[in-house]
Amino acid sequence: MKKIRCAPYWMVFVLTALVFFTTGPAASAAGLFSAFETVSRQDGGLNTAIGYRYHQDTYEKGNGLKIRQNEIYSQAAYGADNAWEIYARLGIADLKIGDVFRESEEVFAALGGKVFYPVSGKLGVGAFVQGTYYLNDFSDTVERRKHVQLKDLWDVHFGVALQATLPCGSTMYAGPYLYYSEGTLSLSSNVSDWGYAAGRYSVQNTSIAGGFAGLDIPLAKGFRLNVEGQYADRFSAGAAISYTY
Amino acid sequence: MLSGGAPGSAHAFVDLPPEQTSPPPVVLTVSPDRPANQFAAAAVVDPMEEEYTGDEFDDYAGDNAKEEKVSIADPLEPFNRAMHEFNDKMYFWAVKPVAQGYKAVVPEPARISVDNFFSNLGFPARFLSCLLQADFKGAATEAGRFTINTVWGIGGLLDPSSGKELNLQEQNTDLGQTLGVWGVGQGFYIVWPVFGPSTPRDTVSIAGNYFLDPVAYLNPWSARLGVNVLDKVNAASLRIGDYEALKNAAIDPYVAFRDAYIQYRYKQIKARKAKIFSGSSAAEPFPETVRPDKVD
Repeated sequence: MKKIRCAPYWMVFVLTALVFFTTGPAASAAGLFSAFETVSRQDGGLNTAIGYRYHQDTYEKGNGLKIRQNEIYSQAAYGADNAWEIYARLGIADLKIGDVFRESEEVFAALGGKVFYPVSGKLGVGAFVQGTYYLNDFSDTVERRKHVQLKDLWDVHFGVALQATLPCGSTMYAGPYLYYSEGTLSLSSNVSDWGYAAGRYSVQNTSIAGGFAGLDIPLAKGFRLNVEGQYADRFSAGAAISYTY
Repeated sequence: MLSGGAPGSAHAFVDLPPEQTSPPPVVLTVSPDRPANQFAAAAVVDPMEEEYTGDEFDDYAGDNAKEEKVSIADPLEPFNRAMHEFNDKMYFWAVKPVAQGYKAVVPEPARISVDNFFSNLGFPARFLSCLLQADFKGAATEAGRFTINTVWGIGGLLDPSSGKELNLQEQNTDLGQTLGVWGVGQGFYIVWPVFGPSTPRDTVSIAGNYFLDPVAYLNPWSARLGVNVLDKVNAASLRIGDYEALKNAAIDPYVAFRDAYIQYRYKQIKARKAKIFSGSSAAEPFPETVRPDKVD
């Protein structure tokens, strides 16, 4: 029987370097949804991860605020029984709105949990819920001297997925998700590009549903690589490298 | 003192590398679930045996159990004894009570995590020491440990590098050992208040480690002081009992600590040199590092 070669050890460092050095400024909704079957030990254990996600979305109102974000985060998770996991993330994210608003990194925190139920040896179903809150406000000056702030940004995601086990310990997963994101937009004067007058507005995401798919690949020495794409109103994608204790 | 066991020994409780942990003549285990640290183990000598050997220590190096005797000049003994007494009182009157209170409040896993965190911050000194000793493998190990523990160890609170799979062990070295590896002699014995047992050569290590410690650059000074106190109290809370065991087992604690310290440093430097020059014998005496001149 032909032996399947899994990813070598050095790939951990190469991929980590890629995450750090090719993603530009740091990272909003907060990170990947990841595979549903926990990578923690069956009798309970910790796993940690570092991840990056490029996030795009559209907030309603006026012409629609197209946002782009780069997120980098660190995650600590505890799971057991190949069935459940809870996790916490702390990260930083930048924010661009259209072509006029650019804010450098602010801190966010996320909490989540997921459950997995194996249907057969190679197939299972899972569900997750995840919430994110930005601890700082995003602010910038647009169209000369017009001060804009996006405050109290938060989101919550809920999704279900099918997960399949592939050769070499890899897993693939895909499914739909629902989400809601909200923030308060504060404008010191009219911003013609966005069609907003001065004042405070509550802004929400335009789409509420999307789909995601990802791949989780074992590397070596307890490390795993997770790549994932998400599509709601616009496309988002990211990668994370986890370590199982 | 503040390192938690022997008063003032900033170096005293760093474990020896695995290959250098051959048992001393008498090992007193102070905690049933945790072996006594190497400093204490090296220092605790059967009083009956001491009657025949004075304050020299036997060092069983390697399988051939070759005996090596290590001693040090102590021209400042009156001053050193006063400082030893000061550190002893400081331990029993301040450090130990605070550490016991801290231990009662903070669970052991959290204290170990804090210890891991501060150990991770010690990376610059260890990395530089490895480089200066031309121990490039050790430097690479330290760099790998720091990266992995910082990124996947939640800022250094966890230590995945030491696990079975990665097996990147902390390099037990400092600038004083670097000087020793270079052939700089230890000089005479000196006990610093708060910092504890040292030599002129190892005092360089205290000063160098200060500048290489990221905590030293915290502002304001009160934050720096607070973090340093947390580090030392946390470390002490993990080793309560070690110092007491060593002290109680010694006829003259000052002499016991002095000899234990010099023995411990000797073994550390020998281990480093054996590692770096792995082709040569670990038992080969160092021309300048440790002089076998007995002064008492």
